[in-house]
Order: sequence, then structure tokens, then C-alpha cells
Amino acid sequence: MANDLKVLLIEDDTIEIMKLHRVVSSLPLNYKIIEAKNGEEALDILEKKDEIPDIILLDLNMPKISGIEFLSILKENPSLKYIPTIILTTSNNQKDLLECYKIGIAGYILKPLKYEDYVSKIEKLLAYWSINELI
Amino acid sequence: MSQIQIDILQRALNREKAARKQSEKILEDKSLQLFNATQELKEANEKLELLLEEKTSQLQGVFENINDAYLIMDLEGNALKMNDAAIELFGYDLKTERFNVVNLIYKPDANYAFKSFKELRKKGFFTDYTARIITKSKAVKWVQINASLIYDKSKQAIAAQGIIRDITETRRTSELIKEQKIELEKSNDELQEYAHIVSHDLKSPLRSINALVSWIKEDNSGKLDAASLQNFELIETTLEKMEQLISGILLYSSIGSESVKKEKTNLNMLLEDVKQILFIPEHISIKILNELPVVYGDKVKLQQLFQNLISNAIKFNDKEKGLIEIDVQEEKSFYQFSIKDNGIGIDKKYHDKIFKIFHSLNKTKESTGIGLSIVKKIVDLFKGEIWIESEPNIGTTFYFTLKK
Repeated sequence: MANDLKVLLIEDDTIEIMKLHRVVSSLPLNYKIIEAKNGEEALDILEKKDEIPDIILLDLNMPKISGIEFLSILKENPSLKYIPTIILTTSNNQKDLLECYKIGIAGYILKPLKYEDYVSKIEKLLAYWSINELI
Repeated sequence: MSQIQIDILQRALNREKAARKQSEKILEDKSLQLFNATQELKEANEKLELLLEEKTSQLQGVFENINDAYLIMDLEGNALKMNDAAIELFGYDLKTERFNVVNLIYKPDANYAFKSFKELRKKGFFTDYTARIITKSKAVKWVQINASLIYDKSKQAIAAQGIIRDITETRRTSELIKEQKIELEKSNDELQEYAHIVSHDLKSPLRSINALVSWIKEDNSGKLDAASLQNFELIETTLEKMEQLISGILLYSSIGSESVKKEKTNLNMLLEDVKQILFIPEHISIKILNELPVVYGDKVKLQQLFQNLISNAIKFNDKEKGLIEIDVQEEKSFYQFSIKDNGIGIDKKYHDKIFKIFHSLNKTKESTGIGLSIVKKIVDLFKGEIWIESEPNIGTTFYFTLKK
């Protein structure tokens, strides 16, 4: 039995946000997407606690606090650190990759150039987390 | 007196005379010997004196002429004698003033100075003492000192001597080099970081355009004519090409900026890996003519090198049966590799241009003009050379060397 997945998307690029919405709306299952334009906004949402997401999709290159800084803050929080966080980024910088896994992530996905490749990656990602038991 | 008695006396007298003559002779001989000996001794003395004078003047010469400062002091540290270099370095002149070496000690180095002085008293010498001194004019200088005790005949220490080298300038230079090296490493890191960020920022809009184009296509499915669809396809191809260019630049800029990992790399195994990674069409065969060596170097870069050259050989092959031959020759200090194909060949006038960045001879989707410039950069990293022999329509051979 698949759950309705609540996804927190932390992304500053408008078209990237549109892309995720479009993929999700084309899928048969119900997903709820919560948007945050940057790390601070995401932290505000998480602190309110009325809408704790099941998973977080996190972009690394963002203004103000960077993705990696956000990740560190998240993983230091005793209750929030359990939310699986998947990096969704353009950067295949080995240093970033290593740093993210060191802090603790549930996945690292490169944004592909082609929209159809993006659709396929997001479909698989959401399908996978839908069949997972989450806290 | 009887005749007998006279005779006896006469004989005795004669004996006495003979004995005396003999004695006189001996005396004469001896005094001659003595005279000769004295003469020799005098000569020897003169020679010795000459020698001593010579040595003294030699020593004086050394003392005056060495570039380093030279100082003799008593065991309390009072300077007894200095050469001109010492006068210049310390600023004190014994002709007009007295001074003690304690005056020279730079406070923060005092402990080390006293420890070293103790060592000198105990062991009779110290070497390569390196610390700061403070001169009469209050300038701080870095010096390196080698010192030893001077003993008298009864092996009693009476003084100490030291050669003091001013290393202020040398130290400043080496510190400057160290600083610059750190700065260079930092700026290399920054450049690498910068390349990643720029590449991210450039790729993001491409992704957005691709998404938007594909939505327009989707949302207007059935309404677009063939020409428009073809134009959309051209937009997509252009985006792909642009993305490859950005990735290529990122790759090019990252070579050499990372620290080089040197590891034993078996090129036979590496070539097997390359063959796995590359798509090799059925009509192309790759032959390795000789056993390839094991070299020391960064495996990823070596792989990139072979991969780029072989993929070029595949890409630019127009023959029915494509043949790529890889060979190696061992030389004294390097290996010379060759990758030979029977492809389209390269006109002589382009032979120098092909290794420059963005000089793609074939403006196709797959060639960005970065591949060979990366190859060149890697060969440079291995302190090797690269050149080609090629004839249009017959084929190309790339030669390159890797230092052992």
C-alpha cells in the first residue's frame, strides 16, 4: 500500500519548481509538494511542525544558506534529522558529493539536461520513497 | 836522574802529546759538528719562522676574507676579535667599544641561546644554531652559527670561536616562496570551485529551456507543423552541444588543479576498461600490438587520455573496416605510445591547431574541440610530448610519450 508522500522541495529556480509540479501532476498517485525558495524558508516550515514532510528534495546551489549548510543544520536537529534528504543538483563536484554523504543523505541525483530524463528520474525516486516505511 | 828514568819520562811525555793531539782533534771535530748542527738548526728555525709567518698570514687572510662573520670571545662571552663581516653584521667595533655576545640575543630566542651556549661548554661545539639576533642599531637578523671552543696546551678551554652566517635574506625568500605556494594552491582550489559554480550556473538555464521546449511540444501536440517540430529539435541539439561544451571546459580546467595521485597503473587493464566504456561499432576493431607497460600516474587521467584518443579514432573513421592499432616502444627514460587509425586523416595545415582548445575541425554535435586539448594537457602533466602523422583519407597516427 503506497502512502501519499509529502515532499519538501527546496529550490530557488522557478522553472525547476514548475518541472517537479508537472511531473507529479502527470503521475497517478497523490503527492503533496511543499515549496521552499531557500534554506531559511525551509527551516521556518520545518520549525512550525504542522507540516513535516516525508522526504526532502534539496538543491545545493542556493542563495543565503547553501544546501550543504542547510543539511548540516537539519542533521543536528534531534527530530528533523530522520527525514530522508535527497540532493537534487547540477553539481557533480566530487567534493560536494563526499561532503553530503559525510553529513548524511538518502540520495544524490544529478539534474539531467533533458526533460524526459528528468521525468524518468523523478518518477523512480517518488515510486521508491512511496513504498518505503517512513517515520 | 838515570838514563832509564829519562827515557821513561820521555815516552810518557810522547804519549801525553799524542793523547792531547788526539783530544784536540776530537774537540775540533766535535766543534765542527756543533757548528754544523747550529747552522742547520738556524736554518730550520728560519724556515719554521717563515712557515709560521705564512700560516699566520693565511689565517689572517681567511679571517678577513670569509664572507661570514667570525668572532672570538672569552668564555664569559666578551668579544675578543672580529672580522670586518662581523663588525658590519653586529654593528659593534672592538676598536672603539667592548661588547658581550649577550647583547646580541633577541629576547624570544634567549632560552635557545643559553641552551646552545651550555652545549658549547659541555661538548666543545655546536652546529647550525639558527635564531634571531639584535644588532647595535636594533635591527633583527636571522643567523646561523657554528661554534667551537679554543683550548690551550694543557687542553684547558680558554675561548670560543664562531662563524656567523646572516640568513635573513635567504629566510625571507624561502618564506616568501612558502607563502606564494600556499596562495597558489588556494587560488587553484578557488578556480576549481569557481569552474564548478560557473558550470552549474550555465547549465541551469539550458535545462530550463529544454523543459520549456518539451512542454510547448507536449501542450501543442498535433498543432505544430513539420518545420516547427524540426526547429524545436534543433533547439534541443543546440542545448546538448552547449551542455557538452560546459562539461568539457569544467573537465579541462580541473586537470592539473587537483593534486596528482600517483599509483601503479597497468595500462593493459586500463585499456580493457576504456574498451568497455566506449561504444565500439561492429565495423571497428581495436588491436593492441605489444604488451603495454605498468606506469606510475593518476589512473583517471591516463584513462581520459586513452579514451579521448581512441574515441576520436572511432568517431572519425569512414572506412568499411575500421582498424585502430595501439603500440608502445620502451625508451630509456620514457615510453612512446602510438594510436594509429585508418580514418579520415587530418590535413597537414591543421596539425598544430588540433591541440588548441575549441579548435574542432568537425563542427558536429559530438565534437566540442576540447577532447584533444585535454589530451595535450594530460601529456604535459606527465612531462611528455605529443605529435601526429596523418594523411587525409588514409589515416592518422597519434604519438605521445610518458616519462617513466
